[in-house]
Amino acid sequence: MENRPVQENTTRTESDLKKTGKSFFSMLKRLFVREENHLSVLEEEALQTPGMTILKNFFRHRLGIIGLVGFILVLCFSFVGSRLKPINLSYVETALRNIRPSYNYLNFPAELAKEGVKQISSGVSFSIGLSEKGKVYVWGTEPSYIMENYSTPILKIPQEVQDNEIVRVVAGDRFALALDAQGRLYGWGVNNFKQAETTEVLRMRLAKKKVADILGGEAYAAILFEDGELYAWGCTMPNRLDKSVPEEIQGRIKKAVASPMNIIMLLDDGTVATIGIPSNAIAQIPEYLQDGSVKIVDITASYRAVLALDDQGNLHNWGDVIHGILDIPEFDGKVVAMDAGKNNMTLLLDNGEVVYWGADHFGQLKMPANMQGKKIVKIFSDMFQNYAIAEDGSIFAWGNKGFLFGTDEQGRDLFTRIIHGGRISLTVGAISVVISVILALIVGMTSGFFGGWVDNALMRVTDVFMSIPFMPIAITLSSVVVGKVSEMYRIYLIMVILGILGWPGLARLVRAQILVEREKDFVLAAKALGVKQRNIIVRHILPNVFNLVIVNITLGYASSLLSEAGLSFLGFGVAPPTPSWGNMLTGAQSSSVIEYYWWRWLIPGLFVFFAALSINLVGDALREAMDPKANEK
Amino acid sequence: MLKYIVKRLISLIPVIIIVSIMLFALTKAMPGDPARHMLNPGLKAEQFEAAYNAMRKKLGLDQSYPVQYFKWVGNTLQGEFGWSSLYNRPVKTAVAEPMKNSIILNIFVILLDLAITIPVGIHCAVKRGSLFDSFWQVFSLATYSMPSFFVALTLIFIIAINLNWLPAGGMPIAAYGKDFAYYLSWLKYMILPVITLTIIGLAGTIRYVRNAMLDALNEDYIRTARSKGLSEKVVIYSHAFRNALIPISTIFIWTIFSLFSGSPITETIFAWNGIGHVLVKAVSNRDYMLVCTMNLFFSMLSITANLVADLTYGFIDPRIKLE
Repeated sequence: MENRPVQENTTRTESDLKKTGKSFFSMLKRLFVREENHLSVLEEEALQTPGMTILKNFFRHRLGIIGLVGFILVLCFSFVGSRLKPINLSYVETALRNIRPSYNYLNFPAELAKEGVKQISSGVSFSIGLSEKGKVYVWGTEPSYIMENYSTPILKIPQEVQDNEIVRVVAGDRFALALDAQGRLYGWGVNNFKQAETTEVLRMRLAKKKVADILGGEAYAAILFEDGELYAWGCTMPNRLDKSVPEEIQGRIKKAVASPMNIIMLLDDGTVATIGIPSNAIAQIPEYLQDGSVKIVDITASYRAVLALDDQGNLHNWGDVIHGILDIPEFDGKVVAMDAGKNNMTLLLDNGEVVYWGADHFGQLKMPANMQGKKIVKIFSDMFQNYAIAEDGSIFAWGNKGFLFGTDEQGRDLFTRIIHGGRISLTVGAISVVISVILALIVGMTSGFFGGWVDNALMRVTDVFMSIPFMPIAITLSSVVVGKVSEMYRIYLIMVILGILGWPGLARLVRAQILVEREKDFVLAAKALGVKQRNIIVRHILPNVFNLVIVNITLGYASSLLSEAGLSFLGFGVAPPTPSWGNMLTGAQSSSVIEYYWWRWLIPGLFVFFAALSINLVGDALREAMDPKANEK
Repeated sequence: MLKYIVKRLISLIPVIIIVSIMLFALTKAMPGDPARHMLNPGLKAEQFEAAYNAMRKKLGLDQSYPVQYFKWVGNTLQGEFGWSSLYNRPVKTAVAEPMKNSIILNIFVILLDLAITIPVGIHCAVKRGSLFDSFWQVFSLATYSMPSFFVALTLIFIIAINLNWLPAGGMPIAAYGKDFAYYLSWLKYMILPVITLTIIGLAGTIRYVRNAMLDALNEDYIRTARSKGLSEKVVIYSHAFRNALIPISTIFIWTIFSLFSGSPITETIFAWNGIGHVLVKAVSNRDYMLVCTMNLFFSMLSITANLVADLTYGFIDPRIKLE
């Protein structure tokens, strides 16, 4: 076997063919895997399988390799990423809507830790800190806004705030307030409801009375004076906070906490009261907390739940049963401080430990590992950011770090949606191509081999599908299936629609190629050698057709990716909330979105482009690798 | 030749019949009830019942599907395309204006497309492997991979919003009558959609022209021409280009027919009242007759284009015998 002459290999006999030419798989094998491994260098050169030649040619093509690497990256990003980062399709967080890409929400300045933290308060994408020296720091990301006239940048601290000694700061959702030692209040950030402004009424009161606390709500602010009077301003109409605080409560308030629709108040006799929308679950204060039988000493409120601490050290809570916010974990120790983020609660115990529970959408419950064993003296939870100050003055931060690709109009993380959208888009594209290639092969091969009336009939069918316009029919077909089927089935149907509309071109190519190959000399030679008809088809004709098919699969994949994106963009493809790269752009048709929220259309668009480009590069390189004549071109 | 034409025409008959049946079935499968759609929903129950039945009768929906199909075919052949429920007027008049807008847009796209692709394609083929060629190869591959909405949104973001040179979308309005400024404003509104459509269409055509030219340059008669000592200019423009024009003519015929086709995505983004945009609106609003008519129209258009392209091919190139 060692010294088998080359000729014997190149001109195979019928018995040789019988051995290997039986199945489709052996054909594939012959295309890509060399059968004998024991040839000398000279023999090997003479006997390179077509598959090897193609691969070698392909890897000589620089752009092709770039495309291949790019495509593998996109695949890994979408398919491995979607395993690592699961998506909750029903989760929306409108407070976080339209925030630009960044990852710095928790990057507090080192100076703040050096000067010692007096207070930290957080908005949706930023935090404001007050040092023991009375200096104010703001870090994080500018929450985006359309109404530029009504807002000032949140990260740019006003000059007066920098110049004066500040005693208290607070952050609302998208604005911040600071109070100086002389009792002057400064506001900046989004001011669409004048929540970051000091009114004349307020200024007069501030001049007369001392401030106990400032509250920052969704789009309103409130101030609690030391004499127990509460005053709210900003967006107070929808939550009925514009009504003045009832006579019997006003002047007796010891502490007040803000939730979007209510303000919960702790009165001087240890009972709890509320103003705002009375029907909210958060306003359903248990009876025993209102009649004075239990004396409450501290309260805190998340978005939809309240936590209260009585003088015996027991905790009481009420509100909406959501995100496990009412499930207080077991702990040993006395509670010395409590604070609440939007969907999570944090407790500080007398032994310096921190207890936390609630929602974990942004890692609000993932405390930094190096915090273990440190004695914590202060905790600050607000929105989705949490900070803990240790005895030695070091700051620990956990919670929402930011959004790499920003958020959409419903506050959903675009990074996660791009990953999962990629999985959907790449799958829809791939399956639709597989469908169309199978159809094309069946029709093209039957037509090419049988000829006659079969060919005629099949070609008329191909003409029909060739003549129907792609986009209009895809839209119409998609509208036919809308509403009749579930969301998941709709995705399958989109695959089928794209597949059914995509096959005629390739079917014609396959047929034409078969007709051309059939007339070639090597087929004649095989016939003269007495090779069976079936073997001629499988071993001599089909391999030459397959090259064409493989190139067309890759190029067709790119174009069906683009078709899916276009269909979904128009709202006729994959339906939200399931993300696809196309439907993520659906909301990006108004010029304000294009202008201010550029990340919402640019990033998904770039991903479609990048994926299609890398696939096209691979396809182009494959075509050149397979067609030896192409190198001459 | 005549025999071939007759044969082609006969073979088209089953194709047209199947297409029409498919489109009819597709329209019938669209969700919603056209009769209900056209009634005043404020009617009382009994009144509604009567009006509904009357409307069904008027629209011919009370008959069986085959009868409806033949009626529809008959009407269509007579130039009656039905009633558009979206625009509340006959389909024919409803699509006239958008069709005109699309054609105006497409004229500019085609002119720009041909003006760029033919010289660039030829130059790429002649200077094969040069920097110029590689640049256009990569460029055409890149634009070929670009979703049209991405091109459109990027253009709006840069040119309409950040530079504020052109409107982001919409149609010109004749506020002060159809004066010179009005016609000038057409240009203003058209530039961005035209650029978008040109960029999207460019890639395929450049490659096609380049390959046609390369094929021509590889022919034996080019070698003969060169060996005769003809100047390179004569070889390229007189021998190669004239022959490359044969496949290019196919593209030319296709572009002429593509004048009438709309571009759903681009027109929607730029709020251009073209036929593609109208089609998207019609599908969303369940305007059956308009959708059906337009789909049929586009199908017939592409069948005709195909036929004309084939025939011209045989006409221009004497080497091809049409049988």
